[in-house]
Amino acid sequence: MTEFFAYAAMALPDLLQGTVVTLKLTAGALVIGLVIGLPLSLLRVYGRKLVQPVCTAYLTVFRGTPLLVQLFVVYYGLPEIGVSFSRMAAAFITLGCNSGAYQCEYFRGAIQAVSKGQMTAARGIGMSRFQGIRHIVLPQALRLVIPAWSNELIAMVKYTAIVFLIAVPDLMNKAKILSSQNFAPIQTYVLVALIYLVLVGFLSLVLHGIQRKLAVPGLDAGMEGR
Amino acid sequence: MKDKPMTRPVLRIENLCKSFGATPVVRDVSFDVHPSEVIVIIGSSGTGKSTLLQCLNLLHRPTSGRIFLEDQEITASGMNEDTVRRQMGMVFQEFNLFNHLTVLGNVTVGMTKVLGMPAEDAEKKAMNELERVGMADHRHKYPAQLSGGQKQRVGIARALGMSPKVMLFDEPTSALDPELTGEVLTVMQKLAAEGMTMIIVSHEMGFAREAADRVIFMENGRIEEQGPPDRMFTHPESERTRKFLSIITTGNTDPPIGKAT
Amino acid sequence: MTPFVTMLQFLLPGLGVTVSVTLIALGLGGCIGALMAVFRVYGNPVVKGLAVSYSVVVRAVPVVVIIFILFFVISAFIDLSPFMSGAIALGFASGAYQTEIFRGAILSIPQGQMTAARGIGMSKAKAIRCIILPQAFRVAIPSLINEVTLVLKDSSLVFVIGVPELMRRAQYASASTMEPLLAFGTAACFYIVLTLVLSRLLETVEKRFAVQF
Repeated sequence: MTEFFAYAAMALPDLLQGTVVTLKLTAGALVIGLVIGLPLSLLRVYGRKLVQPVCTAYLTVFRGTPLLVQLFVVYYGLPEIGVSFSRMAAAFITLGCNSGAYQCEYFRGAIQAVSKGQMTAARGIGMSRFQGIRHIVLPQALRLVIPAWSNELIAMVKYTAIVFLIAVPDLMNKAKILSSQNFAPIQTYVLVALIYLVLVGFLSLVLHGIQRKLAVPGLDAGMEGR
Repeated sequence: MKDKPMTRPVLRIENLCKSFGATPVVRDVSFDVHPSEVIVIIGSSGTGKSTLLQCLNLLHRPTSGRIFLEDQEITASGMNEDTVRRQMGMVFQEFNLFNHLTVLGNVTVGMTKVLGMPAEDAEKKAMNELERVGMADHRHKYPAQLSGGQKQRVGIARALGMSPKVMLFDEPTSALDPELTGEVLTVMQKLAAEGMTMIIVSHEMGFAREAADRVIFMENGRIEEQGPPDRMFTHPESERTRKFLSIITTGNTDPPIGKAT
Repeated sequence: MTPFVTMLQFLLPGLGVTVSVTLIALGLGGCIGALMAVFRVYGNPVVKGLAVSYSVVVRAVPVVVIIFILFFVISAFIDLSPFMSGAIALGFASGAYQTEIFRGAILSIPQGQMTAARGIGMSKAKAIRCIILPQAFRVAIPSLINEVTLVLKDSSLVFVIGVPELMRRAQYASASTMEPLLAFGTAACFYIVLTLVLSRLLETVEKRFAVQF
């Protein structure tokens, strides 16, 4: 056991460096995913019939294939047709587009969970469809989406773990280097697992706090923890 | 009919028809609404009353026929529906209060976002309207913290905030527990007394009798009969009206209107 | 078209490996999940604590990390093929998610079922096995089909320990033909077809359930 702690003390600085990259990737992917997912969900719910096949194709590809395939297609495949990205860019783009597809579905669910009467009432006081979406439906949908979005955040922390396969210097990449340098794969990956555990646990607590803070009084009674 | 000067109508409905697919719901309905007039539309469920009402502010597009709001044809093509709707207040059976906004926010949102009023002015006016419906003290609460009757009073204030030319009430008390209808009807009666032009779809016969200037009885999407409440309730001309009234007034235990606190 | 067909043929054995790994993992995960769910709902505090920590810890760690750890732990003790180690690791990971699925399903079965089973003289264990679990399993079917999709996609991760599944084959192909887009694109097509079939199946099952309840 003391051996393990000594190794941990030695390996930790490097691993934490990788953890920072992991967190950056997570944050970047979530933002890109938001920028893609929210408009896409609006198209899904309010868009014309014409755009639906495009949305469906996007969702099918990104939700129907493993992230690993997407990463390899973007990083190794696309240069073949003249589109090349750096390792980091490829990681951000793949994770972001993937998250966009999932976030689209979460937003769509939340928008559809806002009762129809809300839009009717908004139109009733003379709001345009766009105003109704912006001032009445979206503010409510964004609150409803928080639990699903929190899950997406947690999931994304874990999903980033495959980008080491294109040599992005994240937590896993550092682990791989350390484990082969020291011939200590088990200790290294147990340490990595512990770091993810702490990360995910901490983020869950923070997100839970945010959820409680943003709850509408009287509504979402469950979330208020009454 | 109470004596009211026969001025230019606020709203004029000409040969209005509405079908959903092949099913006609409103058939060839025509009537005028004069300033300060209170019209109560009665009839059994599924006779097109609510659809008619929602056609008036274009929440449903009429299939044919014309509607004029103060001489302007709002059914004309190229007419902006949103501009039309902000001149008519609508109160819904299911309240449809905006769940994410406070009571005050529900009333101001239309003024600030639709009419472009400065927030301070909107708040001042909203407080006035909330005062009118007796909900000023609850301004910081959220809809989920209110009773049904309170929600509906906020719904009325929200509509009033837009300074509408006509108020449309779509079964405003149908979703309420019986003991909560009084407070809403009282507010509506007060509005009527203040001279608001109102069209109300309702099953509250007591209210129709006391507050209406004219009662319209609808059957099968058509206007079967209309007239002042006194005559309609005591000597209906149509056999169908008589039948409907006899069914609905038997065992009617509506509390007296206007005496609720 | 021919390069695509050639690629299809080359990847086909990989598809077999992918499907086998997925099925083994699902079976193993199902056994672990059902057992852990029973522990969580009916177990004594010690067993319950064990089940909770398993589910919480495993679900907080990326699947690829689980695969690495189990691969190295297993190979330290016994000589197992990467294929089996990979399938076991995936099953171990899926088990944690299936624990949650089964737990939810068990909790959705009305209390009266247990009472009635005990009432006709069944032991607690027998009641769980013969009355509660069969019903819970039916409730869990939609979530389980969804889990099939997830495990199928996660099975690409055993790539990292050298299992010759779809992605590994695609990588060989990409390296030898210098056509990575075709290789990984074709692999993507395989996955899309599989997930589409599964989601169609899910729809059918959900529709049938909608009628039943």
